[in-house]
Amino acid sequence: MPRRLYDLAYGRAGDKGDIANISIIARTPADYQDLKAHLTAERVQAHFGALFRGQVVRYTLDNLEALNFVCYQALDGGGTRSLRIDPLGKSLAGALLYMVWED
Amino acid sequence: MSYRIGSAQGFYGDNVLSALPMITGGHVDVVCFEALAELTLAILQKDRLKDPSRGYTFDLAIIASKILPEAFARKIPLICNGGGLNPQGAARMVRETAARQGLHGLKIAAVTGDDVLTRLEDLNEAGEPLTHLESGVPLNPAEYPIASANVYLGAAPIVAALQQGADMVITGRVADPCLYLAPLIAHYGWSWDDWHRLAAGIVVGHLLECTGQVVGGNSLGVIDQIPAQDLNKLGYPVAHVEADGSFILTKTPGLPGIVNAATVKEQLLYEVHDPAAYITPDVVADFTTLRLQDLGADRVQISGVQGRPRPEKLKLNLGRLEGYMRELIFTLGYPETWRKYAQLQTMIAETWRGLPLDRVEYQLLGINSLYGPLAPLPAEDPLELVVRVMFTARDEATLKHAVRLMMHNGLSGPAGMSVSGSTVSGEPRIILGLFPTLLHRAHITPEILYLEV
Repeated sequence: MPRRLYDLAYGRAGDKGDIANISIIARTPADYQDLKAHLTAERVQAHFGALFRGQVVRYTLDNLEALNFVCYQALDGGGTRSLRIDPLGKSLAGALLYMVWED
Repeated sequence: MSYRIGSAQGFYGDNVLSALPMITGGHVDVVCFEALAELTLAILQKDRLKDPSRGYTFDLAIIASKILPEAFARKIPLICNGGGLNPQGAARMVRETAARQGLHGLKIAAVTGDDVLTRLEDLNEAGEPLTHLESGVPLNPAEYPIASANVYLGAAPIVAALQQGADMVITGRVADPCLYLAPLIAHYGWSWDDWHRLAAGIVVGHLLECTGQVVGGNSLGVIDQIPAQDLNKLGYPVAHVEADGSFILTKTPGLPGIVNAATVKEQLLYEVHDPAAYITPDVVADFTTLRLQDLGADRVQISGVQGRPRPEKLKLNLGRLEGYMRELIFTLGYPETWRKYAQLQTMIAETWRGLPLDRVEYQLLGINSLYGPLAPLPAEDPLELVVRVMFTARDEATLKHAVRLMMHNGLSGPAGMSVSGSTVSGEPRIILGLFPTLLHRAHITPEILYLEV
């Protein structure tokens, strides 16, 4: 089994209009340093590919040992316009935590 | 003595009876109910169009009949934004309910002033461009019918009502965390430029406003710790707040749930963009300086929240009627599964040729319906494919016609195909598009109506 981001972190996704945010919360201080150094906005953007139509912006929270990714045009137009089966993107944190994580 | 705020509602339809164990157990000094998601007001507009006395959330009737008598007997104020588009109508309903139950000396406050649906043209002429917050495109009122237009109010009118002795405060659109900030300002007398304390109150509200989500619900952080049989019985959250704004987050004592560093971190970042600038009508809160200490026994202490001056502009959300959507679900089995899927797509395209449909989208449930292009499709014919077809149009009749035409193909489709009966007998669903914009606060003057029993 490959090591995945979920082995280092957990998280939750939320929605505002067509913007999704995904929090990634490290399990240990060492995991946080690893994530802060290597889980860049560009990498997250590339992971989601065509699922998101806009930019991904990253914020860091050293006090919580967490990252917050804000994903624009990520919800097929947003909550009530979206034709997806998960229109609010509640499951999106899981898609990121599925990322294969190389040491 | 800390001041204790309970949270008993996080959305329209939440279990508001969760307030009862907080109140009867003597665990809270005030209870707040947050009922309005981004588009709830546009949904309530449909109720109001049918009956002008409606437009508020039905949950308020439960609060009035089951919770208010217990709270009033103990002098515990209730604060709820479930007044929606009609806080005054909701207050009249609550007064009638209270009178029937023989309550005396009860004071109900209805806060209005957030609804600007009839003022949009005037605001535009007064120099408000009403441009879309994300795209920058100006509002074109002729593009779609506008069902709702509500500004996010701050805590001030709730504070005023509590200071006037209101036992229940019913509002329309108030920024969610400000519902919870208001009783803190009223109790401790924090000043309106005490930015750090106001920001601390916003963090209290933000952690409380989604009820179950901070006590073990919707949580990956404690998924291996919380017993599944507890999930539908969670003790909703309570914050014990000190005069300096520091607080302990916990849950209703004696009920299931978990509050620890993980559940608090998850909720702290829920629906947050820049965590150093969480913008509310009353203060801009900074989540990046706060300290979080897990005290054990379902208690987490938060301190050191910082804040900056409030914004000059308020957020205004418009809900627009953009059309209708419809769903059909087809099932396909082995063999030739992928060929059948291609046949189905072609058959639908031929059947619906010339219909004024805006979108037709295909999703494979269990394969790529959540993550679309992230999911690789199996190369070999799978044992089963469940195909969800979503299609939209400006009017309902087009969607109903499209379904009828597709059903004509019942005996002519791909071998062994079935269609989910509940989706065939379903109805078109309204598409209420959200248009967020900003408005200068000088245009907004909240008003308070008091009703007494």
